[in-house]
Amino acid sequence: MFEMNTAEPMQVDVPPEDNENNETECYVVENPTLDLETYAASYTGFAKLYRLMFVADHCPSLRLEALKMAISYVMTTYNVSLYQTLHKKLAEAVASAGLPDVAVQMGSQDIPVLDSIWIESKTKKAAIKLEKLDTDLKNYKTNSIKESIRRGHDDLGDHYLDCGDLTSALKCYSRARDYCTSGKHIIMMCLNVVKVSVYLQNWAHVLNYVSKAEGTPDFNEVPGKDSNQSILTRLKCAAGLAELATKKYKSAAKHFLAASIDHCDYPELLSSNNVAIYGGLCALATFDRSELQKQVIVSSSFKLFLELEPQLRDIIFKFYESKYASCLRLLDEIRDNLMLDMYLAPHLNSLYMQIRNRALIQYFSPYLSADMRLMAAAFNRTVNALEDELMLLILDGQIQARIDSHNKILYAKDVDQRSTTFERSLAMGKEYQRRTSMLILRAAMLKNQIHVKNVGRDTGPQSGEAPGSSTSLTPRTFDTVPL
Amino acid sequence: MASPLEQFVDNVRTMSASGSFRELCEVIGKSDESLETLDIQQHSLGVLAVLVAKFSLQQGGDVDKSTMFKQIHDFITNCNGEQVRFSPELYAELCHLLTNYLVEIKQPIRGIEILKKAIRKIQLFDSQLTSIHADLCQLCLLSKCMKPALEFLDTDVTGIGSELGGNNDSKHFLLYYYYGGMIYTAMKNYDRALYFFEVVVTVPAMVVSHIMLEAYKKYILVSFILHGKILPMPKYASQVRLIMSWLPPNMLLSNIAIPSSEDKNMGLVNQVLSSMYKKNIQRLTKTFLTLSLSDVAARVQLTGPSQAESYILNMIEEGEIYAMINQKDGMVVFLDSPEKYASPETLCVLEQQMAACTKLHQYIQEMDEQIQVNPQYIKKSVGSHDEDIPATSQNSKTTYSM
Repeated sequence: MFEMNTAEPMQVDVPPEDNENNETECYVVENPTLDLETYAASYTGFAKLYRLMFVADHCPSLRLEALKMAISYVMTTYNVSLYQTLHKKLAEAVASAGLPDVAVQMGSQDIPVLDSIWIESKTKKAAIKLEKLDTDLKNYKTNSIKESIRRGHDDLGDHYLDCGDLTSALKCYSRARDYCTSGKHIIMMCLNVVKVSVYLQNWAHVLNYVSKAEGTPDFNEVPGKDSNQSILTRLKCAAGLAELATKKYKSAAKHFLAASIDHCDYPELLSSNNVAIYGGLCALATFDRSELQKQVIVSSSFKLFLELEPQLRDIIFKFYESKYASCLRLLDEIRDNLMLDMYLAPHLNSLYMQIRNRALIQYFSPYLSADMRLMAAAFNRTVNALEDELMLLILDGQIQARIDSHNKILYAKDVDQRSTTFERSLAMGKEYQRRTSMLILRAAMLKNQIHVKNVGRDTGPQSGEAPGSSTSLTPRTFDTVPL
Repeated sequence: MASPLEQFVDNVRTMSASGSFRELCEVIGKSDESLETLDIQQHSLGVLAVLVAKFSLQQGGDVDKSTMFKQIHDFITNCNGEQVRFSPELYAELCHLLTNYLVEIKQPIRGIEILKKAIRKIQLFDSQLTSIHADLCQLCLLSKCMKPALEFLDTDVTGIGSELGGNNDSKHFLLYYYYGGMIYTAMKNYDRALYFFEVVVTVPAMVVSHIMLEAYKKYILVSFILHGKILPMPKYASQVRLIMSWLPPNMLLSNIAIPSSEDKNMGLVNQVLSSMYKKNIQRLTKTFLTLSLSDVAARVQLTGPSQAESYILNMIEEGEIYAMINQKDGMVVFLDSPEKYASPETLCVLEQQMAACTKLHQYIQEMDEQIQVNPQYIKKSVGSHDEDIPATSQNSKTTYSM
């Protein structure tokens, strides 16, 4: 245990650099049927704030309400800078509301005003608390009691998180690592780091620490089965989220499906409803029929999740029963609400596309030939649009079929295995010959030290631009193992 | 016996190197006589030196060039290959001189046969590359007579003449593959052409030569014709990135596509365009059983059914697709390839391919064996073995067990 800690170097202070999800798509959701109260109530901490801000950014009709809720929540924390940004946004929202009379009316009543006294006092209090925690930590360190030092780091991390300084929080949490003395502590440390990394959207980090937590030796012997289950569920949720964000939908689905409803208490990141939707959609998009049946529909644990989202349950059942038209229609109905989910929104289009493709493939799979008019009716499409969709799928190799455009019939293609094998082996042979002769030539080239260098007289006009002069170019030493 | 001869060669070399051409002229004046006295077969090296010295003195203008062709011709037919191989640089230089002369007087076709002979004479084995190859390709290209070069181009190079490597300029190496690629392009053997251009682009380089740049342009175009996309370069082609940074492929295409541009790749660009249409039609055959001509035109973005019809007709004739056009209702019926891979011809092709693969594999094994017995290599691998031992006890154990 202890050995492992010392053997591995600290490698946590890496700045979170791979936030490539910065492409803020500008879309607007017009009329969602979202009950913001209950939605917000299922989250705490940054998850709540971020989600409310996301809703405010993308849904004008809920903007004011969302911002107000966010502000009232942020007042309970030390996060002064976020408070100020939220107020700025609120002011913009009020100004651009376009309905002056309403805005004025509401403004007089319940639009919160910027409370500078609050800001000041909070800043002061935060500084005092920080100082206290810092001195505590120093004291612990001089006494060198491991357990206390660890707690000190954790407390400091909590405080930073409360103030909204995510990077410092991450640093504190991960520093606690050197003072972990039991498997439980390590897992707690990992959970903390995972949480902050999710807020920072540093997904590689999330996966890294999830696997670290899972690999902790006495992970399975932590006393109290319940707490163990809930930790496992948290880790699964975080991993699922990270996989979703990195577009690995299938493994995301698997992670979410492994969550357990009784222990799904993770308001800092996800609600149970989120788990149901993320898991359900990802599974729908990537699982084949038997997987869907085994792991989703008859899964006793995930069934309970699906009860939380009856619409999604219906969708999955309709899909399984091959009632694609109603399935797709239901999907379109919940689309608006899903677009307001900050983690799901960027992937919704591709998930929907994959679900649709899967439906098309499944529809056709039992047939030798299918009437495209009927098929178009089953998918709410015109025949021509369907034809285009099918063409892409065929080119992609997902459907083995050919289209009879004249009679509008889709025929399954009987693939002649023998011919394709011949074709492919001949192509492979050609490729091998080409590569090998290239390799031999290159070996000869290196052996004879042929390379373009700056001779200056006839290599061409570009030669002058190279920095090295001809004298500095020593011929490449003969590589004993070419390539 | 060769000492006076060597002395003479030395004389000529040092004088031309130090630039004392007047003295050289005198020597050469005498040498014309000496040329008569020397026998081409017995004193090949000496004659070679004299000839090179004589013809490289062009700025003098006094040298009578009309006899040049004949003299070189005689020399190459009659010289002693064994002797000449000791001075491949001079020999190659002579051929370059001849090539330049023929290019100048615009009679490139005359040199093809001589150069072929010259190459065969100096080669140690069939698949050895010499710098004369580039000259031959150049002449073939200029005279628009591609066939003679093919017998050299078709053999894959396994060895390289010493005059090409070492500290010498890589120009002729690049040129050979560049010209070779052009010849193959002209013969519409795009597969080989792509291979040749790829060789040019992947030559190890400190700087990017103009030849590589041009080859890269053609590489992109041929790649489009053949595959409809730009193939990824192998990893060792480090300098490709450098070229790319100058010439991003998209910009290149748009640049070349402007008719008024100075690039002479217009013909290729046009072929790229038509091959794009063909590629798209071929894709259609994979997805459709029947399709109306107007639909074909719409999907491939041709101007109308009649153009689509002409494209499809051409492609059917060339065996690129298998289809039938029903003119009554304007439908195209795409068929499967009739090739069933059951004929004796297929078997023959298969056997040939397999034999070629085995041959290559054997060659690779030979190369591997050569490396295994290479003293340098053994020294190196033994050296690293020594270093390993003092590391840790575990490590040394594994090395012993091996």
